Amino acid sequence: MTALIEAIGLEKTFRTRGRDVAAVADVSLSVARGEALGIVGESGCGKTTTARMLLRLEDPSAGKIIFDGTDITTLRGADLLKFRAQAQLVFQNPFDALNPRFSIRRALAEPLNNFGVPIREHADRIDAVLHRVRLTPPAAWLDRRPHELSGGQLQRVVLARALIPGPTLIVADEPVSMLDVSVRAGILNLLREARDALGLAAVYISHDLALIRYVCERTMVMYLGQVVEEGPTKELIAHPAHPYTRALVAAVPVPHVAQDRAQLPIRGSLSDAAAIGGCAFRGRCPHAMNICTELAPTLRAITPTRRVACHLEGTIS
Amino acid sequence: MSLLSVRDLVVTYATRAGPVRAVDGVNLDVPAGSITGLVGESGCGKSTLGRALMGVLPDAGRIAGGQIMFEGTDIAALSASARRAIAWRRLSFIPQTAMNALDPVQRLRAQMLEVLIERGGLGKAAALARASELFHLVGLDPVRLSDYPHQFSGGMRQRASIALALALEPALVVADEPVTALDVIVQRQVLDVMRNLQARLGLAMILVTHDIAVVAYACDRVAVMYAGRIVESGPVADVLENPLHPYTMGLTHAFPDLYGDDMTLVPIDGTPPSLLHPPTGCRFAARCPFVQPRCAEEPPVTNGDHHAACWRIDEAAELRALAAIPATWVPK
Repeated sequence: MTALIEAIGLEKTFRTRGRDVAAVADVSLSVARGEALGIVGESGCGKTTTARMLLRLEDPSAGKIIFDGTDITTLRGADLLKFRAQAQLVFQNPFDALNPRFSIRRALAEPLNNFGVPIREHADRIDAVLHRVRLTPPAAWLDRRPHELSGGQLQRVVLARALIPGPTLIVADEPVSMLDVSVRAGILNLLREARDALGLAAVYISHDLALIRYVCERTMVMYLGQVVEEGPTKELIAHPAHPYTRALVAAVPVPHVAQDRAQLPIRGSLSDAAAIGGCAFRGRCPHAMNICTELAPTLRAITPTRRVACHLEGTIS
Repeated sequence: MSLLSVRDLVVTYATRAGPVRAVDGVNLDVPAGSITGLVGESGCGKSTLGRALMGVLPDAGRIAGGQIMFEGTDIAALSASARRAIAWRRLSFIPQTAMNALDPVQRLRAQMLEVLIERGGLGKAAALARASELFHLVGLDPVRLSDYPHQFSGGMRQRASIALALALEPALVVADEPVTALDVIVQRQVLDVMRNLQARLGLAMILVTHDIAVVAYACDRVAVMYAGRIVESGPVADVLENPLHPYTMGLTHAFPDLYGDDMTLVPIDGTPPSLLHPPTGCRFAARCPFVQPRCAEEPPVTNGDHHAACWRIDEAAELRALAAIPATWVPK
C-alpha cells in the first residue's frame, strides 16, 4: 500500500515558563488510502498535537509531512488551501463547532465557498452530503439552526461539513466524546460507512481503546510525545507488547460484570515520569532495568506489522 | 432494611415555560454497605436526583413531592440547617470536578482540618493525624497536605476530594460522575480507591455516571434512569446480563467492546421526550422498537429485587434476542 500521508520525525516544542517542552518528541507514521489509523494515549501524550500537525493546523518544530507524494511541511497560500480541501478535521464538540446564527445550508455552503466550488454545484453537493450523514430528507434540515438540533444531529452536520469538500483524509479528535451513549453508535457507524464508501484515509484520536478498535484496523500508542507501540488494533489489544500498552488495555472498563479487577501493572502518575534520558516510561514501569535509565529504546519491528519501543521486548510474557 | 429509601420523589426546575419535572416519581432503595450505580444519558435526571439527595439543588430546583428516608428520617422535609447538621457526618458528596470541592486558595491541610475540626469536633492534633491517615487511605503522600489544589494532577485532586468526603466516615456518599474527567488509567485507579474504601469502611455509595462500563466495574447494584424515571434496577449482573427494559437492552448494544467478535453497534434512534410536557404512559415508547398500544398507559413496575417498568416484561427473553439484531432498532 502506498501512503496517502506520511510523517517523518515530527517534533513539536512549546515554550512555557521560559523552557522548551516537547509535546511531540519524535513521531513517524503513515496512513494508506482507505486505511484508518488510531492514536491512543492519555491527556498530554501529544496525540492531539500530532493530529494538528498532520493537518497543518500547527507547524512542526522539526520533521516533515508528505501528502500524496508532495512535501507539505511548509506549504503556504493557494497550495495550502488546496491541501485543506483534501485533509479535513472532524471537530470534537458539536455544540460549539457551528455558528449558532447560520442555517445548516449556510454552514455547509461555507466550506464550498472557501474552496472555490462553483455556486451552481452547491445545492447538489449539500443534498448528497446530507444523505450521506442520514439527515433526510435534506429539505427538512436545510433551514434549521444549530439550537434546533440534538447533539447527535449536530455531530452529523459537523461530519457533513468535513466531507463536503471531498477530502481524501479525515482526522477526527474524540469524535463522539461529547455525545450520549445511545447516539454515539450512530456516528461511529456513519464514520465507518463514509470511509468505506468514499475510500477515505482516516486518523482517529481517542483515549478510548474500545472505540478505536471499532473504527481502526491499525493503532499507535503514544506516551509523553513518543510512539511506544504500533500494530494491528486487535493484535495490540490481545497481546500488548509495551508495558504501557498493557496498563492501558487493563484499565479500559468493559461493560461486563466478569472482568479483571487486578491491580494495574503501572506505578505512579504521569507527573512522576518526566525523567530526562532513557525510557520516558521507566518511572512508572514495573519491569524497569538499568539499561532503561541509560538508553532510550527505539521503535523497532517485532513482527512484519508490529513495532514497539522497549528494551524488554521478547523477555516478558 | 435500606439505608436510603426514596419514595415517589419529584424534583422540578422553575423555567420561563413552566416547571420542568427533572425527577418525576422516583423510587430507589440503597442498601447499607454497597455501591449503587445511577446510570443514564444527559438530561435523564440522574445528577438532579443525586443533588436532591445531597440537598444541594441549584436555586431554580426544588423537591416538589415524595420522601427521602435516610436512617429513618425524611431528609427531604428537613430545614436547611438540619440538613447541614448531617452533611459530611452521615451523608457526603464527591462532585464531578474536584475543583468544585476544593478551595483553590487554601492548602489541602487547612481544608481537611476545617471539616475534621469544625464539622467533626476533633481536636487539632487528632485532626492532623486523621488528615494524614485519610491521605494515606486514598493513596496520596501525606506530605502533599501542604500543597494547594493546583499543584495536584486531576487524579490526585479527585483522590483529595474523596478523602475530604470520607473524613467523617459518613454512612452514604453520593459521587456525581467522579471519574468522567479523568484519563482511563487514572479513572481505574480512582475507582479502585473508592471500591477499597467502601469495602473497608462499610459505607454505601451512589455513583452517578453515564458509563455502563464504569457501573459494571465498580457497582453492586444499578438503577437505570430515563426521562426523569427509573426504568430498571437490580443487582448489576442481572441488569446488564439479562436486562428487562428495552432501553437497557438498547444501551448494552450501543457500546464498543474491547474484546469479542466484530459487531455492529446499534444506536437508539430519536431523543428523550421533553420534561416540560412529558408524554403519558411509558416515556421510552417513542423510541422503543417493541412499542404496543397499551404503552400509552403507565407501565406497571414489577416486583422483586431486579425490577423494571414495562408492559412486556413477560416477554423479556424474546425481546432481548430481538434487541441484539441491529435491524430491530432501525426506525420504521
